[in-house]
Amino acid sequence: MTLLDIAIPSAPGRITWNREAIGFVVGFLLLALLPLVFGDSYSRHVLIMIFIYAVVASNWDLSLGYGGVFNFGHLALFGIGVYVYSLLAKMAGIDPWIALFASGVIATLAAVLVTIPILRLKGIYIILVTFGFAQLVMQVIISQSDLTGGTQGLVRVPGLYLFDHNMIRDGKLAYFYIALALLVASTLFLRLFVRSRAGASIVALRDNEEYAISRGVSLVRQRMVTLAASAFFTGIAGAFYAAYQRNASIDVFGMSLATIILSMVLLGGTSTIYGAIIASFVLTVFSEAMADFGAWRPMITALLIIVIMLVYPTGLVGMIRAAWTLVAERIKRRA
Amino acid sequence: MPLLEVEGVSKAFGSLKAVDDVSFAVEAGEIFGIAGPNGSGKSTLFNVITGIPFGPDKGRIRFDGAEIQARPGNAIARLGLARTFQRETSFDGLTVFENALIGASYGKPGRGATEARSRAVEALEFVGLSSSAFGRLAGELSVFDRKCLMLATAIATKPRMLLLDEPASSLTKPEIETSIGLIRRTAERGITVVLIEHVLTFLMSLSQHLLVLNQGRVLAAGEPKSVIADPRVVEAYLGTRRSAA
Ligand SMILES: Nc1ncnc2c1ncn2[C@@H]1O[C@H](COP(=O)(O)OP(=O)(O)O)[C@@H](O)[C@H]1O
Ligand SMILES: [Mg+2]
Repeated sequence: MTLLDIAIPSAPGRITWNREAIGFVVGFLLLALLPLVFGDSYSRHVLIMIFIYAVVASNWDLSLGYGGVFNFGHLALFGIGVYVYSLLAKMAGIDPWIALFASGVIATLAAVLVTIPILRLKGIYIILVTFGFAQLVMQVIISQSDLTGGTQGLVRVPGLYLFDHNMIRDGKLAYFYIALALLVASTLFLRLFVRSRAGASIVALRDNEEYAISRGVSLVRQRMVTLAASAFFTGIAGAFYAAYQRNASIDVFGMSLATIILSMVLLGGTSTIYGAIIASFVLTVFSEAMADFGAWRPMITALLIIVIMLVYPTGLVGMIRAAWTLVAERIKRRA
Repeated sequence: MPLLEVEGVSKAFGSLKAVDDVSFAVEAGEIFGIAGPNGSGKSTLFNVITGIPFGPDKGRIRFDGAEIQARPGNAIARLGLARTFQRETSFDGLTVFENALIGASYGKPGRGATEARSRAVEALEFVGLSSSAFGRLAGELSVFDRKCLMLATAIATKPRMLLLDEPASSLTKPEIETSIGLIRRTAERGITVVLIEHVLTFLMSLSQHLLVLNQGRVLAAGEPKSVIADPRVVEAYLGTRRSAA
């Protein structure tokens, strides 16, 4: 069964494909116009980082939100992308675009490998094993310092290229559009997946494992599919990050990045994909706006998250839905 | 050859023998009843037959000629042996339609999207869920509708045999009447039904054969009339009632 073969043509109670497609195209067109508004390379840098975070967070929403699999090694998949790309492009001298693609593939394989030890586990034990997996990947990278630069990381990692366009003196325009393309491709893939029968089956497993199995769903296969599907674009995002920053550092395995991305998944509202993307914008822009507050910044951000989650337990998406209903009612009353 | 053959099946939880050396056979096309006081091992028997969540410690189970006691639950389901659960169960995050689509898509190997879709719709209509309910989240349904939905997801897998675990529990009188009709029509579709119920009268009106369990063991088996006339069955039931009082 391929992904498209099993896509559900129309599903009662869900937004129609047509409507979603319109929203999707309009939304991403607006994003594509942003460089017209933001001419400076600093703003563009922030937007590029938002796109990378959005890819990583929305893919985490697939395994965590839809699949209910507490994969706390998700950022390790990102880290694998960073290092696979850096090693292939810098040490092996492979074409950056091929290295980028290979990073996605290797991250996917790594995700399939982690699935094996967690198949018979539930909840907190999955957190433990996946967290251990992230630590293991990091330790391996540190120990192979001849290749990976150990705790120093790697510098002068080759960047991406587009024909003979100058990637450095274009005010980050090329990287902006590559990052956006990455987010578009990833989001398209995720939405198609969650609206497919395979997507419904991973929600079924999340909601009631035994019941899903009794209807023929294979826990082993669908768990693997879940983690593998969440890994590909995460790995590519890691590779893109390395190419964009021109370096690789083990900081990507640290708690602080994982915490930021996890806040995006939760603040956005799980099991929506779009929520994580919206939250990547909100949190990053908010954090940039609060730059003057120095040490207060993380505390203010944390407070904001807590308040939003208390008022809207389904996150930003819940907030937007509530606002939408309110507006729709006003319009109706007036008409 | 019987459709389902259970031979010397046992399952223990520590020192408690929940199912103890149970044997019986179900012929294709019949409604087969299983009775017994609460805690007599009826649900555990369904669990070990379907491999969900575990198979038997001992014994052999043959379904449609294939030995299934060591197979995983999803593989058993795909052979055409479906079950319901005693408590109403649903995929709360999915819509009614998607719930049925899971059964239709994963229940039997090699099925295209269009066919699965129409099978899901057919199963939902069969149990009486109207198309206006298709888009609702399953978690929002009433107990009765959720029980019907659970039956629909089973029927959507296109089973040869259906194991129903106390379909009438926690339902009102009229709902029970509807359930009885639904079970009859399920059997008329050519699906062999094995029905657990601890209320004997419910089974009497439906089943052609009856098995009574007590403390994990077969107490009596055979024609419903002769089974309930068995003094040991009477005693087991009266005994429970007394201890429950
Ligand atoms: N997973 C389990 N772990 C431990 N004991 C169990 C388990 N499932 C059932 N039992 C015990 O096995 C016995 C039979 O239970 P069950 O099969 O649910 O009975 P019935 O369905 O006939 O009411 C009961 O004593 C019950 O407490
Ligand atoms: Mg029971």
